Amino acid sequence: MIRTEHLSKVYRMGEIEVPALRDVSLEIEEGEFLAIVGPSGSGKSTLLNMLGCLDKPTSGAVFIGGVNTALLSENELAEIRREKIGFIFQQFNLIHSLTALENVALPMFFAGVKSDARIKRAAELLAKVGLRERMHHKPSELSGGQQQRVAIARALSNNPAVIIGDEPTGNVDSETGDAIMGILEGLNRNEGRTIIVVTHDTEIAAHAPRVIRMKDGRLLEE
Amino acid sequence: MKDIFLLAYRDIKERKARTSLTLMGIAVGIAAVIALMSVGYGFEQSVTGELVEMADLIFVMPGKANFGNYMELGSFNERDLKDVERIGGVKEAAAMISGMEEVEYRGEKTVMRVIGIDTRDISAIFGEVVKTGDGRDLRDNDHKACLIGHSIANDYFDEEIGVNDRINIGGSKFRVVGVLEKQGGFRSDVDSSIYITERDAKSILGNDEIAQITVRVRDIGEAELIAEEIEERIDENHKLDDFTSAMTMGSAITQLKTIFTLLQAVLVAIASISLIVASIGIMNTMLMSVMERTHEIGIMKAIGAKNRNVLSLFLLESGMVSVAGGVCGCVLGIIGANVISIGIGAAFGEAIPAILRPEVLLGGIVVAVIVGVMSGLYPARKASKMSPVEAVRYE
Ligand SMILES: Nc1ncnc2c1ncn2[C@@H]1O[C@H](COP(=O)(O)OP(=O)(O)OP(=O)(O)O)[C@@H](O)[C@H]1O
Ligand SMILES: [Mg+2]
Repeated sequence: MIRTEHLSKVYRMGEIEVPALRDVSLEIEEGEFLAIVGPSGSGKSTLLNMLGCLDKPTSGAVFIGGVNTALLSENELAEIRREKIGFIFQQFNLIHSLTALENVALPMFFAGVKSDARIKRAAELLAKVGLRERMHHKPSELSGGQQQRVAIARALSNNPAVIIGDEPTGNVDSETGDAIMGILEGLNRNEGRTIIVVTHDTEIAAHAPRVIRMKDGRLLEE
Repeated sequence: MKDIFLLAYRDIKERKARTSLTLMGIAVGIAAVIALMSVGYGFEQSVTGELVEMADLIFVMPGKANFGNYMELGSFNERDLKDVERIGGVKEAAAMISGMEEVEYRGEKTVMRVIGIDTRDISAIFGEVVKTGDGRDLRDNDHKACLIGHSIANDYFDEEIGVNDRINIGGSKFRVVGVLEKQGGFRSDVDSSIYITERDAKSILGNDEIAQITVRVRDIGEAELIAEEIEERIDENHKLDDFTSAMTMGSAITQLKTIFTLLQAVLVAIASISLIVASIGIMNTMLMSVMERTHEIGIMKAIGAKNRNVLSLFLLESGMVSVAGGVCGCVLGIIGANVISIGIGAAFGEAIPAILRPEVLLGGIVVAVIVGVMSGLYPARKASKMSPVEAVRYE
């Protein structure tokens, strides 16, 4: 499903070069539930950004469904982000001026889905994450856990095969965190979606059948 | 499509104060251009419109006449007049003997232009447009009678001159038989002239040199040709080159229109400066909006927005602001044009109508949109080119 080959990323800050990823080769099967753990600064977010086509590696390649993403144009990358991957952020990253429903409908808007169909699906997805009653609320009127559920619904809106979460439970209490992991587990078990989550929390990582450890930009043995 | 409008609208609405200031910037720029053009058209029409009524006239003068300056080289004589009258296509030709004479009315003295005319030629000189207000026209058998311009009757002397009053011209008493209607504008010289019979003029002015011949043609289309022929004939009579200048009203109108077009261009160029300022305003607003929304742009790109989705959102935003600005500008421009028109009317006593052409208004909106989109382009491109990770990270 997703494969990386000798992936490395070097951030350049003026004179100083910061190697964030070093020669990461990784294979993730379709329908897997993978947790990535590791200390702060070990390169987890950097890796996820590559996997989610949000950023480009310095060297090496990311293959999604067999396609080398290094060869794709910006538009094609945008299409992959839109159709194949749902990204969930630690900071929720909802658009403040839009309601929960509109936030969830936005990726479908970019995909050219008709307004009626968009609204219908967005409402269904919000119901699925337990926010039927909060559809017309703005993010500022929702709790952290609720906002993250909106973000999950948004990630699902174009029905992607892969859901990527960068510490999706990092900004919520542990109880809410469990609930969010429960939703992700359901998406994996019941719908066969591939789930990749970064977490600090070993308890959260315990939800995942496969756990990868990172240190100093390298993968440690599993 | 509707949704992206809603999205753009919502973003605009969130920044009401700034957006409305930007909008006002465009509106003022457009309004200035529209108002100036409308007043310009009105001015042009009020001047040339009056001239069009005299389009069948040719003014023949001894000297080089060019707009703005005139150099008198001599005068015509009776023979010249007769020759002009004989040219085919000439309906009538009227000679004017003129000179500056001392005029006295109730103890007040000034020097004024006195013009002798053949009374049969009144229509050739005045055309249909100059009408005798009070009293009557000059008649051939009038002796020591005069027709005076409106300003002479009302402005030159402390006391107004009316029909049957007596004025002293060059030492002789004349009776005012008529006062001409106010002319103003291009023919304001009529307002400050005194007309007497040819016979009286010869004796008062002491000469019979013809200062100007006014020709009325049968067919306006032939005016230019006739004018040339007049110049040739009289030059031949005097054995001089370029002695005579015969100016058709038609060519005067063309010259005037050129001047007005130039004037318009200058005015519009000046007004355009405010449009440039406005477009900098839009660019600034849009750049700020892009900056502020970097994070949001990052989110949109992360969830699959293409560069052109972002580009069109921002362009639409600046486009919507500028359309609104253009419409406000049209309204302000219409109001402004009328205010200027009324202001000129009040200040100079000469009504200049504001002519609001639909194509100017439409053009105003089109220009607003072009300005808006052009100045929104750079910020929008900047927004669309942002890297999703960096933009999302930006707080
Ligand atoms: N935009 C950037 N510019 C420069 N250096 C960066 C940038 N992003 C990350 N880094 C560096 O790359 C390394 C890996 O960062 P990354 O964010 O991937 O770590 P992380 O494992 O996600 O850490 P955390 O658990 O704290 O989120 C760090 O040393 C970080 O300082
Ligand atoms: Mg991180």
